[in-house]
Amino acid sequence: MAEHLFIISIILFAAGSLFALCFYGWQRVGNYISLIFAAIASCFGIATAVVVLSGGSPVHIDFHLLLPIIKYNFLLDPLSAYFILTISVISFVACIYSLGYINLYVGKRDIRFLGFIYNLFLLSMLLVVSANNAFVFMIVWELMTFLSYFLVIFEHENPANRKAGLMYIIMAHIGSGLLAIAFFIMFTYAGSFSFDDFRQVASQIPAVYKNIIFFLVLVGFGIKAGIFPLHLWLPMAHPAAPSNVSMIMSGVMIKTAIYGFIRFYFEFVTPCPPWWGVIILIFGAASALLGILYALQERDIKTMLAYSSVENIGIILIGIGLSMIFRSYNLMALSSLAMIAGLYHLINHAVFKCLLFGCAGNIYYSTHTKNIEELGGLIKRLQVTAPLFLVGALAISAIPPLNGFMSEWLIFQSLLNGFNIPSVLIKIETIICGAVVALTGALVATCFIRAFGISFLALPRTEHAKHAKEVPVIMYVSMGLLAGLCVFMGIFPAKIMMTVNHVSSHLVGINIIKSITAYDWMQTKMVQTNFTGLSPKSATVFGLMLLAITFGVLTAIRPGFVRKFYETWTCGISPEPRLEYTGTAFSRPFAVIFKGILRPTLDVAKVYSVPNFFVKSMTYVGGITPIFETYLYTPVSNFVLKASDRVRWIHTGNIHVYLAYIFVTLLILIMFFR
Amino acid sequence: MDLAPKIVLPLLQLIVIVGLAPLVKGFINKIEARLQNRRGASIFQPYYNLIKLLRKDAVVSETASWIFRATPYVTFISILIIALLVPVLSSAVPANFTGDVILIIYLFALGRFFLALSSLDTGSAFGGMGGMREMMVSTMAEPALMLSVFTVSLATGSTNLGNITSTMVDQSTILLNPSLFLAFAALAIVIIAEAGRIPVDNPFTHLELTMIHEGMILEFSGRYLALIEWASSMKLLLLLTILVNTFLPWGIASEMTFPAMLISFALYVVKIGFFAFLIVILEMSFAKLRIFRVPNLLGTALVLSILAIISLYVVG
Repeated sequence: MAEHLFIISIILFAAGSLFALCFYGWQRVGNYISLIFAAIASCFGIATAVVVLSGGSPVHIDFHLLLPIIKYNFLLDPLSAYFILTISVISFVACIYSLGYINLYVGKRDIRFLGFIYNLFLLSMLLVVSANNAFVFMIVWELMTFLSYFLVIFEHENPANRKAGLMYIIMAHIGSGLLAIAFFIMFTYAGSFSFDDFRQVASQIPAVYKNIIFFLVLVGFGIKAGIFPLHLWLPMAHPAAPSNVSMIMSGVMIKTAIYGFIRFYFEFVTPCPPWWGVIILIFGAASALLGILYALQERDIKTMLAYSSVENIGIILIGIGLSMIFRSYNLMALSSLAMIAGLYHLINHAVFKCLLFGCAGNIYYSTHTKNIEELGGLIKRLQVTAPLFLVGALAISAIPPLNGFMSEWLIFQSLLNGFNIPSVLIKIETIICGAVVALTGALVATCFIRAFGISFLALPRTEHAKHAKEVPVIMYVSMGLLAGLCVFMGIFPAKIMMTVNHVSSHLVGINIIKSITAYDWMQTKMVQTNFTGLSPKSATVFGLMLLAITFGVLTAIRPGFVRKFYETWTCGISPEPRLEYTGTAFSRPFAVIFKGILRPTLDVAKVYSVPNFFVKSMTYVGGITPIFETYLYTPVSNFVLKASDRVRWIHTGNIHVYLAYIFVTLLILIMFFR
Repeated sequence: MDLAPKIVLPLLQLIVIVGLAPLVKGFINKIEARLQNRRGASIFQPYYNLIKLLRKDAVVSETASWIFRATPYVTFISILIIALLVPVLSSAVPANFTGDVILIIYLFALGRFFLALSSLDTGSAFGGMGGMREMMVSTMAEPALMLSVFTVSLATGSTNLGNITSTMVDQSTILLNPSLFLAFAALAIVIIAEAGRIPVDNPFTHLELTMIHEGMILEFSGRYLALIEWASSMKLLLLLTILVNTFLPWGIASEMTFPAMLISFALYVVKIGFFAFLIVILEMSFAKLRIFRVPNLLGTALVLSILAIISLYVVG
């Protein structure tokens, strides 16, 4: 059953991508057909995941195509199915959204390519999370990287986009190279590239090689996930891509790296020593805090969202790392809880990040700018987009009763359970992590208050913003679906946790659903841990009841309540956009407080009409120092450039010399591996 | 426990919190005035203000959107939900299952989120400045708040305030744990910051350069202002209640009898009064801090709470 659905989904994606290419004259129609195919294919993807997650046993799918020696093995187990579910839900919505968003490009450029690559990109992600063979995995992993690279440089006339694409492709390939080494080490012990053999071989790998694999995988997938300090490409590439692509990249593509982490650390190289989990935990906490600190300073709304993805990947990794620590101390139930927390946050982040990128796309669609300082007053112009963005902002700030709160709550509960760990040092680390998550949560709220407040509220700051019009219906309807999901997944967490529990029980080997859900005295389902229970549903109901009562009482006190409208008091002059608080001013104090990390710079230059007395004009340039670029990446890239300069003499440009090189290499290889 | 107390008790909690909150404010103002050799307004003045405001129409900025009009309700309701979750007169909290202290912290965040948004909504620079400062203070307070709460939770084995209180009552030796003293100190600093009192914020000022909370709510009037003022006084009372009933829960009713509740109520009023008095003393003896000194103060709270956790783990 599941395999058929999966294959249908693959075929539909592939067919859809071809349709986009076919229609030269009717590019719009071609793209519509391909997007609709992709949307249907996503539905089949969702169906596949549902079948597997609702108790079906893992399904193997083997193809023999092209070369008989390479087996194309795929496996649909609960972990794959969970990621297929996440990817399919997001790609379904993104395809619907794209139906409207591509209008931005129709007639301006050739979009056949966009539809073609878009479909294949979605397909490649599905294949990445279901590949059951290192060889196949590397092929589809590379395919995913390349396709997304082409999408990043879709607007290639802009040099910044080309630079972002170059950065992305270089970093992604460093990652792929490290992963290939990890796979080869596994291969030398397992004797085949099949993941099934990888799962059996863990006990034969010496500890040293396990540690090497750990670090290779950490950096290899870490680059794709965008963990600090490997994040550099992410805030460049995600904003460069069209919004319907960035929502996929930020929402789900970086999650495939999380999938890789889980596959390796929970299945291939087990049991892992506690310090692995601690390292993941530290990287997670660092990514969370640094990610949001940089997001807060960002004026480009899409770059801001990209940095916030780094932050959320950090939170997911805290869950995963904690799960690894518990597992290595044989605390299986807690390991499962932390895993549920991490995976719950994963799907939550996919949903609200896609929503936020969609809304950012709506803003760009109607104002042609991504700079929040040029926006303002959009709530009265984009009347549907504004509440949708607000829902996303509330969800990502972990405000109850939306979904972000539920997963952060579970993360907190898992971190609190760190007291069960025997080592005092790790115990304290889990608690410090709790403080970091709390600080991060508050910073996220500040960041999204700033993003929403500056771009949607008050008066428009530029003509672009003033003449903004609401986007086509299809674009906000699709985002409305996601906003609905944010609310649903926040108010009914038990349902989501039961789904996630299939995955964690498959990985950790213990089913804890009985102990994490319960019924309260009003017989409604609630979530519980050993510390407490939580029922967002009843909190919502109480809130609505209290609202009704409050409203009733207020009306009784003053039946004919009216609002008079008058202009804002601005000390005697009429309000204008120049007087509004800016996003830069809103976030500047945080640069001052965290000056150790952000290194704020300030440059004030005065031009005098009479020297030293009368100032004619002043310029003020404030910014932050990108410490990772300055102190880590620039030295490394300078070193690489210098080193390549040193060895360039071997490139003579003469074909005979190159043939000699090949010949010598061949001789050496024959000598050693005869 | 049968069904009747489960309905009566939450209502009682709501009434106590909603009813007493303005009184606490009036009490603080009165004592402060007396200590400054002024006669001061009546202790019931906050009630008069609220009633007057509730009877009025509201003037709303033309620039503002529906966010501005929704904010007072969101703020007020989020505080009311918290009032259901905090043990006030009895250690049994019927609405316990709804959520724990983490939910409470994030419900405070909900109100703050909307207040900060509406401070930007009117397009006045004062509002934005107030909103930014409020977010800055609360952001810096958040880790210390979470860690001191974690200390208490780990010492009592629950994050649920009702359960924490009853554990504290049952095993009063927990209170002698040195880590709880540290947590108490950290929480006290955080509460001063969260409630917007001197030395972090001055609730009496309307000078642009010094105000935080008042800056955010500058444009509200009539019913809207009443709801926000009421919510902020309830927030102060709730924070004090959490402090009191977590660390000094003696005398809180454990069964639902009339005399027990009465004693509990009397003790509650005395304890809250005592802490309100301490706030007055604090406000009398300190000047408001410069805004960029506030992170240092909250950093102290953070260090205290980290020490609390470490001592809990190391000392046991």
